[in-house]
Amino acid sequence: MLKPIEITLRPFKISDVDDFMGWAGDENVTKYCRWNTFTFRDDAVAFLKEVIKSHPWYRAICVKDRPIGSIYVMPGIGKDERRGEIGYAISAKYWGKGVATEAVKIAVACAFKELKYLDRIEGLVFSENKASQRVMEKAGFIREGLLRKYFFVKGKSVDIVVFSTVEAD
Amino acid sequence: MEDNSLASTIKEGDGELSDISLRPMDLSDVDDFMVWASDDKVTHFCSYGPYTSREQGIKHIENKVIPHPWFMAICVNNRAIGAISVSANQGNDKCRGEIGYVLGSKYWGKGIATRAVKMASDAIFAEWPHLERLEALVDVENVGSQKVLLKAGFMQEGVLRKYFIHKGKTRDTIMFSLLSTDPRI
Repeated sequence: MLKPIEITLRPFKISDVDDFMGWAGDENVTKYCRWNTFTFRDDAVAFLKEVIKSHPWYRAICVKDRPIGSIYVMPGIGKDERRGEIGYAISAKYWGKGVATEAVKIAVACAFKELKYLDRIEGLVFSENKASQRVMEKAGFIREGLLRKYFFVKGKSVDIVVFSTVEAD
Repeated sequence: MEDNSLASTIKEGDGELSDISLRPMDLSDVDDFMVWASDDKVTHFCSYGPYTSREQGIKHIENKVIPHPWFMAICVNNRAIGAISVSANQGNDKCRGEIGYVLGSKYWGKGIATRAVKMASDAIFAEWPHLERLEALVDVENVGSQKVLLKAGFMQEGVLRKYFIHKGKTRDTIMFSLLSTDPRI
């Protein structure tokens, strides 16, 4: 069995922008994301500035303190504020090594501790994205169902598999 | 008194409820609105109510109903006995709308809500061509409403645990959907 890669999570710095482009600028990585591939460094800088300033929970996934991916938990507002959506993106170089699964496990533990009002963390995974569904399962999320034509992304509607973990899990 | 005669009209004319109609709701419906909005049996699973004053009813219609993209009164002989609405979304969410409905308790058990949901579904898919999915989120304990959606042809997709806050408590909810391409039963 391969020795697992050790990862850590930390907040982003503006100086991470070139590492950030390493996955956010890669169409293979953004294929099943709702957001568009970053093509301009300036857009990435603006995005990181905004995230650092105002996102409730957004972290760089690091190997030896170098960012190789990102992960966030985004709570809703009003009646949805106890429900957080988890999202993650990993540089293609680090796929298939258990990085996303480990990052999700750490993120869930931290987010439930730091965002005390959260009762539920959910993942909304494109039905075609089998790899990410396996990450959710390995990280201990429960598959709750298939939501048909849930999102409209890059010109068409897509089916979503919804996974969740609640504090009691 | 008028409400009692309305309810008995429907009871006697069992079978085809051909006089159920949907039309936009406005301030002139406030007294009919208060009949169900003040009934805690009805508002138990609603995000609002029960209301105790006509002023609350007026505020609700002004703030929640009039600006709403699609909000209809469910009518018998043009008198409002309930309401049904579909929300609109933007961006990545624009292909889906959420349907919600409420009916005065005197009118329960006659298939009216099921008919209203079918009428609203047909109307909204025709009026909003970008809409591909109608969804409904129903409390796990609201068995009556779950039956309405199944009879109206919606599909149950799953139970979403601790999904949202309802009157101060986090609740489990059941997700239902009807696609524009699903057979209309």
